[in-house]
Amino acid sequence: MFFLSRQTVRRHRSLYAGSFVALAVGVFLLGLAATATAATIAYDAPPGSSIPVSLPGYDGEPARTVDVPLSGEDASGLQVVLSMVGVISGFITIFVIASTFAFAVAARRREIGLLRLIGATPGQIRRMVLGEALVVAFAASATGTVLAQLATPLLLAKASYTELAPVKLEPASPWLPLAIAMGAGMVVAMLGARSAARRAGKVGAVDALREAALEPPRIGPVRIGFGVLFLAGGIVLLSLIRPSSGEAAAPLAMFTPMLLVIALTLLAPLVVPWIGRLWAIPLVAWTRVSGRLARSNVVAAPRRSASLAAPILGISAIAGSMVLSLSFVADAAAATIRDSVLAPIVVTAPAEESASPAAGSGRPDRELRERILQTPGVAAVDGSIPLRLIRTDSDSAELEDAEGIDLTVAPKARRMTAVEGDLSKLAGKTVAIGKEMAGFEQYEVGDEIPVTYTDRSTDRLKIVAILADAFGVNASLIIPEDLARAHAPNAQPAQWFVLPADGVSPDSVVAGLDQNLAGSGADAVPAAVWEAAQDEGVRQGNQLGLILLLGPAALYSAIAIVNTLLMGSLQRGHEFVTSRLLGATPAQIRRMVLWESTLVGVVALSLGTAITVTVGILIRHAMTDGLADVAVTVPWGPLLGIAGTCLVLAVGAALAPTAVILRHSHPSAAAAE
Amino acid sequence: MTTTAPIHPNVHVGEPPALLLDGITKTYRSKAGAVDALRGVTYHFHRGSFTAVMGPSGSGKSTLLQCAAGLDKPTTGTVLLGGTGLHGLSEVALTKLRREQMGFVFQAYNLLPSLTVYDNVALPLRLTGKRPRRDEVHQVLDQVGLGGMARRRPAELSGGQQQRVAIARALITRPAVFFADEPTGALDSTASRQILSLLREATDRAGQTVVMVTHDPVAAAYAERVLFLSDGLVAGSLDRGTPQQIAAAMSDLER
Repeated sequence: MFFLSRQTVRRHRSLYAGSFVALAVGVFLLGLAATATAATIAYDAPPGSSIPVSLPGYDGEPARTVDVPLSGEDASGLQVVLSMVGVISGFITIFVIASTFAFAVAARRREIGLLRLIGATPGQIRRMVLGEALVVAFAASATGTVLAQLATPLLLAKASYTELAPVKLEPASPWLPLAIAMGAGMVVAMLGARSAARRAGKVGAVDALREAALEPPRIGPVRIGFGVLFLAGGIVLLSLIRPSSGEAAAPLAMFTPMLLVIALTLLAPLVVPWIGRLWAIPLVAWTRVSGRLARSNVVAAPRRSASLAAPILGISAIAGSMVLSLSFVADAAAATIRDSVLAPIVVTAPAEESASPAAGSGRPDRELRERILQTPGVAAVDGSIPLRLIRTDSDSAELEDAEGIDLTVAPKARRMTAVEGDLSKLAGKTVAIGKEMAGFEQYEVGDEIPVTYTDRSTDRLKIVAILADAFGVNASLIIPEDLARAHAPNAQPAQWFVLPADGVSPDSVVAGLDQNLAGSGADAVPAAVWEAAQDEGVRQGNQLGLILLLGPAALYSAIAIVNTLLMGSLQRGHEFVTSRLLGATPAQIRRMVLWESTLVGVVALSLGTAITVTVGILIRHAMTDGLADVAVTVPWGPLLGIAGTCLVLAVGAALAPTAVILRHSHPSAAAAE
Repeated sequence: MTTTAPIHPNVHVGEPPALLLDGITKTYRSKAGAVDALRGVTYHFHRGSFTAVMGPSGSGKSTLLQCAAGLDKPTTGTVLLGGTGLHGLSEVALTKLRREQMGFVFQAYNLLPSLTVYDNVALPLRLTGKRPRRDEVHQVLDQVGLGGMARRRPAELSGGQQQRVAIARALITRPAVFFADEPTGALDSTASRQILSLLREATDRAGQTVVMVTHDPVAAAYAERVLFLSDGLVAGSLDRGTPQQIAAAMSDLER
């Protein structure tokens, strides 16, 4: 059947152009992620920037030594982002390929019926469609990998010396990563084509004789079964977004929408007509005939409407959920910071100093501390010593942020509530840890944590207390000041939390501090201002992450939306010409197409919105547990932007080919046909 | 109307019929209710015969053809093709029987636009897994008068030429039975004559059986027997009728 596949792909170029572009872009993104990941793996840290840590091993695993890079001088941040980009690209690629292939098969029902009529078995038809997929997949994957290879140096130049990879990255050997991307592209295409092939195999010989190509309205029990399965999986994941899920909530917010999108896409032929009918009520009321026609077209061809709606549903649900969730996470983080800072005044360290604490000399922090304390009205100041240390497990070593605190001041300036144990016992070789770390690592009060300091000495620290989490205010490991000072002699606080004396107004203290600290570079602000700045920092960080993660996915989905709608309209040339013969004016047909694509878009967006809102509410519930008065920041701009872009693309991609078809189809020409 | 219903005269003693329909009924069910397209048709098409099936719109002639060719399953009754019952055959077995024993020619030419004339004709052989012999394909093309057109694509041919390609494609597997549904419906009279002569030749020279649904008395006159259907039943038949006689019989039936 392969010779036939080759011929039919050539014939149905316009049908397969979409699949080709979609897959080539997908493989391009995958290939780029793979080559860049290879570059990060190949990156050798300069000698001396990492510390060897020996791991004891357990359960038969041998003891070994790992190098832990210090001060983030590596590309692991970029690796994480790239792997997420890879996952999202892979997912959307399967999704788009499946729907474009399904479309290509539906559009060729008669031709497939004819093949069945002259003696092709269902198996041969399946193999033909898979063969077509192979032809397209090979060409597209090859194109994608070549483009990825060409673009790799560009990406690496852009990614070097950024927050994610503060080092210079050089391209590594491209063969393995590109082979992986190419293989992944082929596998993804074949997976996507499989369901289309199976459906093609079910086309009967008698379909060759049927003039009306109206599709069967029902979808198979297998599809419904898988749809329900994915829906159940999505609901299980939704139920996992609980207050106890902590940091896992963010990945859940990414993967749950994916499952729900798959579920809704599988069930779409059942769901879309209903929602379409609902949204069509105002449309039918407002328009004379075009709205009514649009409704019938959407409702009577549920499979086509479903595959048109799929990419819009996909990107709106995934991007919407991530944007909303991250905003809610930031809201919760802001509330945590607000609740955790007890001191009314914060003094931030001079910017250039805090950026490179090791470079400081002559202990300027002592001097600053004295200046703050000498300011009239200041009762006490909490300036902890930040340091990094390597926390060792039986089988892993993690670089952690720690701080050395003055036990007499810090618990008054910041909330350090012990959930278990007693913070007042923090002295000598002891440590207090956050509740979340205790939960993940199953630490209990009394356990000893092996650590390695950046001066390469090792210690075992006894846990004396488990504290309520206060991310952004307290470090995850809190140790006595003396211990911190001993292993980080040059470190200086990034900020001081200032407690005024009884009866002194914070405003006057801030004024006094401003005067006293003039010229030092340090800046005194009311706590609320500092908290707002921290929140702003979190949101900016989120924005960068969102652009990196969703940028490629959005580009990709845009291609998919345009692709499916373009194919959808091009297939309907005959129908449009017939309508023109029946006396429909070009304007009427354009309006019908306009309403139809809008209707499909709105249906998809309402499903996407449902997913977004569900995930958003659950994330919010999970993150705000134990917090009061959490602000609700809904990023209307990005959300409406996503919806608007989807609609504009959908309507534009449907109208443009319609206009072309109409220009080339005067009724006279149609009659002569 | 010359004869009514007695079927047995057309059975050749001792030789099994090429195609046997026994008590075929077909009922379509929909939300609007049940429609009886065929209400019990029994008929034997003997080997080497050319039979035209005529009847008013909705008389069930296309349904009869689809049931006989195994494209549609009759509600009750059996179809035997060369002694093989179609009932109970799997989709794959039915497909194989179809590609080995049956040839199809329809009003819409039903060629694959992406393939050349040669490839279209060779396709049924390829589907059976055989490698088509060049001379075999060219011989069939010569037979339908399309020698030298092998490398063209369907879009470059006239309607009559496309229909002859469809016949060549049906001929190449040497099927026992030809099914033709309005094969001349979209053609002018010259092209129609060529197509009908080709079908006639298939029965006269190769002993193949042709069942042709048509509404055109001129086309029906190429058959040695016209079978009239009305309301899903055989209403009668006419042997070796002229176009005028056939047209008269048809208008009787429609009255």
